[in-house]
Amino acid sequence: MEIDKEKKMDKETINIEETLIKEVAAILSIDKGSVGPEVPLHELGLDSLGFVELLVVIEKTFRIRLMDSGLTRNDFKTIRSLASKIRL
Amino acid sequence: MKIYLPYSKKKRYLTGIDWIIHVLNYMTLKETGAGFMSQVVFELQGKADAIKTESTLSAFIKNYPVLNGYTKRDFNLAPYWKIPTRKKEKISFETINITDSLKNGASFDDVLTSLEKGINRPFKNRKEHVAFCLITKGEKSYLAMTFDHLVFDARNAETFLDIFQEDFKGKKYDGSLNLKEPAHLSMWMEKFKAGQRVNRAFLKMADKIPPRVLPLSSGRKGFKFKILTFSKKESEAIAENAFSQAGYLMLMPYALSASVSAMHEIFAGRGDSGNYVIPVSIDTRKKEEVRRQFFFSNTSFFIFKVEAGLAARFPELLNSVKEQMYSQVKADLPGDICRASLLMRIAPPSILGSLLKIYLKGQIASFSFSYVGETAYESPYFMDNKIINMFHMPRVPVPPGIGIFFQKSKENLNVILSHLDGMLTDEESKKILSLLKSRLGVE
Repeated sequence: MEIDKEKKMDKETINIEETLIKEVAAILSIDKGSVGPEVPLHELGLDSLGFVELLVVIEKTFRIRLMDSGLTRNDFKTIRSLASKIRL
Repeated sequence: MKIYLPYSKKKRYLTGIDWIIHVLNYMTLKETGAGFMSQVVFELQGKADAIKTESTLSAFIKNYPVLNGYTKRDFNLAPYWKIPTRKKEKISFETINITDSLKNGASFDDVLTSLEKGINRPFKNRKEHVAFCLITKGEKSYLAMTFDHLVFDARNAETFLDIFQEDFKGKKYDGSLNLKEPAHLSMWMEKFKAGQRVNRAFLKMADKIPPRVLPLSSGRKGFKFKILTFSKKESEAIAENAFSQAGYLMLMPYALSASVSAMHEIFAGRGDSGNYVIPVSIDTRKKEEVRRQFFFSNTSFFIFKVEAGLAARFPELLNSVKEQMYSQVKADLPGDICRASLLMRIAPPSILGSLLKIYLKGQIASFSFSYVGETAYESPYFMDNKIINMFHMPRVPVPPGIGIFFQKSKENLNVILSHLDGMLTDEESKKILSLLKSRLGVE
């Protein structure tokens, strides 16, 4: 039962990651393949405006408003950490 | 009679933002005798060869007759940029040699005075939109390109010079330059709806009294500049402070909040009332478009309102700025401004200039702000000289005639304070930069 739940959560995280990769690639006009889930967003070239655009997309897609959540580096630095934050 | 097709190589229709730039140019020209211009400056190691620099720049610029264009109206009333068939005029290229001053600490001040003269000099005629100045001082050189905002925004000017550098190194531009722009004389309902939303946003900005401004000095005066360059270590510390205080990647809201906080000390000291209204220009291009669309303006704006009471309470100020940025991205205010401004092209700059002042009771803004992130100039060299630093010296539209600009050159963050001569005393300018350093956490 516990294992099924874990598997399901992993699948959810992967789906979220895929959505985020697609959105980051669109914001930066780069190929999806060059957006690694573990690469820091600032190293991908995202700036304040691009990051806020991403937060708006997250609110529209996942109905979660993250702007007021403190935006700590640990939670927002990579697509993987961001996906975990959204899943929570 | 010649009839030009809509996509004639001799004309390029102006966007709504281009037209707003024309209006700001008209207003600034009227108040100061020179237009809405800026200057990109390369600080270079070693003595640059003046003759070679002039001839190489001159040969390169001949490839771009668009730089000798001027504005006209089409039979359909849409304004357009008339592009001459070929560039005929010689480029303006000034050389200045500054001999070492006896005052050791004042060496950059001499250079700055020469740069200020360059940026405050009007173009020779309506067909000139770029001019160059090469300053040599000791073992350093400064190459400045003064440009008209009618033909370049800040990032476009950097891209243009980057393409020049590639050309100088033998790499030919791939030729994918896109100068086409439709007349935008369709989809009216979309433009009117955008206009309604922009109108509502501006009404929300407006109070019963005008925003806080510094009075414009009388007479036709030039702009004064103060430039603050942070080392790599300081620039990294500022980014860290921004991440910890404002949040990950929140550099722009952090820099804007720090600027409001620093400016407030001076504005409050003048005893004026009202809140602050700050337009912030942003780049609207996709990354892939940067090297194809490097003429004219590819910007739009956020408009921030800061209540005077908040300006001294930094955490609350920061939250307010972040919240406004989020709401404006969510509502796509910058996109709406682009669409709505297409409707304004029918009005001549003299009329539109007055209309823009209606919302804020005769004013346009308290001060201007921009944050240009990574530079579009990629080479570590300008021609054969290594670049020490690259910075911009923008003339701010008048009104408000004062602005703060953040811009990165490789690893260094530059902050430029630009104001009309007489608006601030030298002590006040220094105080603003000192407060800004303190607020950014790098005292």
